[in-house]
Amino acid sequence: MQVFFQTLVGGIGFGAIYALVGMGFTIVYRTMGLVNFAHGQIAMIGAFVGVTFFLNSRLPFAVAVILSMTVTAAVGLVIEGVLRPLEAKDFDLMLIGTIGFGIVLEALASKIWGATGRAVPAPMDRPLHIFGIIVRTYDLVIIAVAAAATGLVWALLNRTKAGAAMQAVAMDREASTAVGIRVGRSNAMAFALGSGLAALAGTLAGPLLYVSPSLGSSLGIKGFCAAILGGFGNINGAIIGGLGFGILDGFAAGHFQQYSDLVTFLVFAVAIMIRPTGILGEQTVSRA
Amino acid sequence: MRFPSSRHRLLLAVPVCAVLALTQACSAPGSKTGSTSTSSPSPTSSSTTAGSAAPGPASPASDTSPIKIAIVDAQSGQSSSLGKWEYNGVKLAVDAANSAGGIGGRKVELTVFDDQNDPTVSTNLARKVASEGFIAVFGPAESADAIAMSPIMQQAKIPYITSGQSPALAKLGNPYLFLNSPTSTTYDATLAKYAVNTAKFTNIAMITNNDAYGKGEQGAFTAALKALGVTPVAVQTVTPDQKDFSAALTSIRQKNPDALFIGAEEVESGLIAKQARGLGIKATIIGAAPISTPVYVQTAGVQDAEGSVASTPYLSNDTTAQSRAFAAAYKAAYGDTAELHGAKAYDGAEIFLQALKATNGAGGQALADAVRAVKYQGLVGNFAFDETGVGVHETQIGIIKNGVLTPAGS
Repeated sequence: MQVFFQTLVGGIGFGAIYALVGMGFTIVYRTMGLVNFAHGQIAMIGAFVGVTFFLNSRLPFAVAVILSMTVTAAVGLVIEGVLRPLEAKDFDLMLIGTIGFGIVLEALASKIWGATGRAVPAPMDRPLHIFGIIVRTYDLVIIAVAAAATGLVWALLNRTKAGAAMQAVAMDREASTAVGIRVGRSNAMAFALGSGLAALAGTLAGPLLYVSPSLGSSLGIKGFCAAILGGFGNINGAIIGGLGFGILDGFAAGHFQQYSDLVTFLVFAVAIMIRPTGILGEQTVSRA
Repeated sequence: MRFPSSRHRLLLAVPVCAVLALTQACSAPGSKTGSTSTSSPSPTSSSTTAGSAAPGPASPASDTSPIKIAIVDAQSGQSSSLGKWEYNGVKLAVDAANSAGGIGGRKVELTVFDDQNDPTVSTNLARKVASEGFIAVFGPAESADAIAMSPIMQQAKIPYITSGQSPALAKLGNPYLFLNSPTSTTYDATLAKYAVNTAKFTNIAMITNNDAYGKGEQGAFTAALKALGVTPVAVQTVTPDQKDFSAALTSIRQKNPDALFIGAEEVESGLIAKQARGLGIKATIIGAAPISTPVYVQTAGVQDAEGSVASTPYLSNDTTAQSRAFAAAYKAAYGDTAELHGAKAYDGAEIFLQALKATNGAGGQALADAVRAVKYQGLVGNFAFDETGVGVHETQIGIIKNGVLTPAGS
């Protein structure tokens, strides 16, 4: 029983991270109609920046997280700026451009921070004992932060003018321009927001995993799958999908040891075949 | 809004993808030519390496062309520390030999190849090495890569000395393969004796990864325990790329172990140790060579690495006058503290250099026989190669105290 609850809490902890990554994907998709294949690598850059602030500059972890989100959002703005000319002309090239950027970011990270990577001590070490279950305090922190971030994102998208503008651009680009929405600026904000969320996920994941240039691909794939599992384009779906994927991953690791990845993705494939639009249904953006 | 027709888009996508694929290929393993006095990287085309030396392994005694030896190791990725240590140890030995005049008037030229800790890549590199006139190879440091290269090296008659320690290496029966360290069987036999007889652990749990090294460790340690009449209370397997071990460690914690055996490379061992402590596992961590390294201590953190027990043939830089001299030279050359892997590589390079002096720079079967005939008192032990290629047959026990490996019982 203890093992069950422990795996559950650990799975929810990772699930919160996948949910954040999935949310970042979803926001960029919902507002720009773009599937950002560099998202995992952006998360990895965020993790490295956060680690540098946390370990080298010895800033408090929360400050390091916020700084990393800001820096990575700026990186996101740069990427969006470079890819913007393609957006109106050939959207598929923009998509391929993100793949290219992913490769560039990974190589840059190897150059700047070295290929080996760094281990990050968790900001809070002592585990909590609740009813005989040992819970990593840090897991609870991740869940709390992810919940807060989700709330803020929801508020931003649904209660602010900027958020409404972002959603309008996704629905109909021409009509948005016609009513005076600055599409370029709105897209830049969306990309920055997505990148910031990726950085949050990456920095939070740093103490749990190992910060190395290859962190991006594993986080990116799992976050992408989480978003699809919950329903691509659906923000609530990204959260449900993330949590579900995290729990699935945790239990698969517990029962199947070295074959856990195989089992996780097998179950994911079957789930998608049964319900292709994901748990909560897709909200696709038509870029016609 | 009109997009170009889908055929047009496809035609555009193909060259773009090709360009992207090319950029990807340019980050694939390249060779860095280093003459032994500099280590500046050069462009990744192989023509630079081949063009700088005369082709062909054996040369007449009046030849002054350099003797080409390759270093094949992980220079990138999580195991890159192994590659760096091996390079440092080898270079130290080769630099000293070259400044003493080289081998019969010929300098030894080292070329570094990055196998990215990937057996596919190392196989490719083995072919490359065989076709470009190298007469010997130092490395790889990873057992899986060394096993992958074996058929090609045997066919091309190129002796190579690996830092890997999987018992599977000894079973290959390759007369051109040599090991500069004991195999896992030796490491784990010593460790098991210490764990059961000296430290008197009764509940021993095991967590190993499933690559060639980890599998070798799991097999060797289980067999060593069995020989002492002990069964491990838990045996968990993880993958080399795995980063989260809470599932495996949680089931281990259920069994209340007093010792936890880790069979994985340096970084992974450090992560396992860190997470084990985070989950409240108080067991003593025991293991072989990776546990003795500074990388393990860095990754786990000094606090979580405290008290770890390592079985290693190279306990510290202070044990003999020879190791002190080596450590001083290493520090002077690289500014780093010497440790086991650098010492192993240094020993291996010294042995090969001795053998090359005996064959006067010739390679092939003659070089392999000469290496096997070398009896060398090295930093990691007394080398006497048997027909499986293993040279050292014993290790000692060290304990990590305050981040530093100290001999057990001191």
